[in-house]
Amino acid sequence: VPLVYINIIIAFTVSLIGLLIYRSHLISSLLCLEGIILSLFIIATLIILNTHSTLASIMPIVLLVFTAFKAALGLSLLVIVSNIYGTDYVQNLNLLQC
Amino acid sequence: MNPSIFIILLTTLILGTMMVITSSHWLLAWIGFEMNMMAFIPIMMKNPSPRATEASTKYLLTQATASALLMMAVIINLMYSGQWTITKLFNPTASTLMTVALAIKLGLAPFHFWVPEVTQGIPLTTGLILLTWQKLAPLSILYQISPSINLYLMLTMSLLSILVGGWGGLNQTQLRKIMAYSSIAHMGWMTTILPYNPTLTLLNLLIYITMTFTMFMLFIQNSTTTTLSLSQTWNKTPIITTLTMLTLLSMGGLPPLSGFMPKWMIIQELTKNDILIMPTFMAITALLNLYFYMRLTYSTALTLFPSTNNMKMKWQFSPTKRAPLLPTAIVISTMLLPLTPMLSILL
Repeated sequence: VPLVYINIIIAFTVSLIGLLIYRSHLISSLLCLEGIILSLFIIATLIILNTHSTLASIMPIVLLVFTAFKAALGLSLLVIVSNIYGTDYVQNLNLLQC
Repeated sequence: MNPSIFIILLTTLILGTMMVITSSHWLLAWIGFEMNMMAFIPIMMKNPSPRATEASTKYLLTQATASALLMMAVIINLMYSGQWTITKLFNPTASTLMTVALAIKLGLAPFHFWVPEVTQGIPLTTGLILLTWQKLAPLSILYQISPSINLYLMLTMSLLSILVGGWGGLNQTQLRKIMAYSSIAHMGWMTTILPYNPTLTLLNLLIYITMTFTMFMLFIQNSTTTTLSLSQTWNKTPIITTLTMLTLLSMGGLPPLSGFMPKWMIIQELTKNDILIMPTFMAITALLNLYFYMRLTYSTALTLFPSTNNMKMKWQFSPTKRAPLLPTAIVISTMLLPLTPMLSILL
């Protein structure tokens, strides 16, 4: 119904497609994950401000806190992968195939 | 790993799932999922190796995507209903997004590709936690939103999961991958009955967790991860061969073992809703699962696998690995069928 949010929903969709389709680097999918969270943050803030639900204003900030946590985990795993293989190409992650 | 850090991680893991199960606010459920994932990834990296790193990376990427999709579904639900309570969702887009997100977390087809690889790369105990404890939180949310789930989406994903779990496990010799495909197939059975009678989903989950726990404990006892090493257990601990056979047959869903109970109740509930083709199809496809369980049984308990001569005469050392709760788990996972009337109503 609210068509004013279509812009941010498109941003979410584009970031999601960017997360699912990546060429060679692992870090680009981590970046697109951050893009998804950013679009979620914007749309959550807009809805909460427009509906004047003051108590829910904490929610975007909590979202950012947990996302920072997740990003730190992702980056540390990226560092370990890069320590093993020298690059962060996702083609290197093929040890566990059938 | 430092024991106090390990305790903190386990506590966060348990606390995260408990928060998802007991919360009534969508934000708290999302936080529970995040805590669960964050605590589980260092547990997966307990013994660092390239395989564990790869498994952790794949787990992180898939679960983070699923969490983001879940949050989007929550926000769309907020847009259309203006409230944060965990009840049925008020918009079909939000419902589809959330079902897809929870399917990614559970490992339902067509989002199952991470389950065998991640299960293969981590130690046996961590794999046990992955396949049993991590299923509790998404299924609890699915249970709570079950009135609003798109029926065709759910049934498509679950039928596809049963197929994939059956066919995918046929070509495997690594035990952890076999358990992963069996998990995919059992998740398919569980989510089939979700739109009709969610109580049976919980019953199936309970029996599945018990059987998977038993299987992993039997594997941990001898630290076996391949069919080849499982076939040598007649020499190390002969009773394990019998117990493995019984538990595997129970997982395949054969009466009079307790693995038959969820399949029977699910088929009965589906026929009460006048659906006849789908349970027939599901029951026939469960034979694929039974085939690779029978293959494991055959090589473990029914024949002597080819081995060198000095493998046949081993020193009988006292066992070093403890398999906690193994006798209880075996009794529950094989002898629970007479209690069916109580269990199918109690849950």
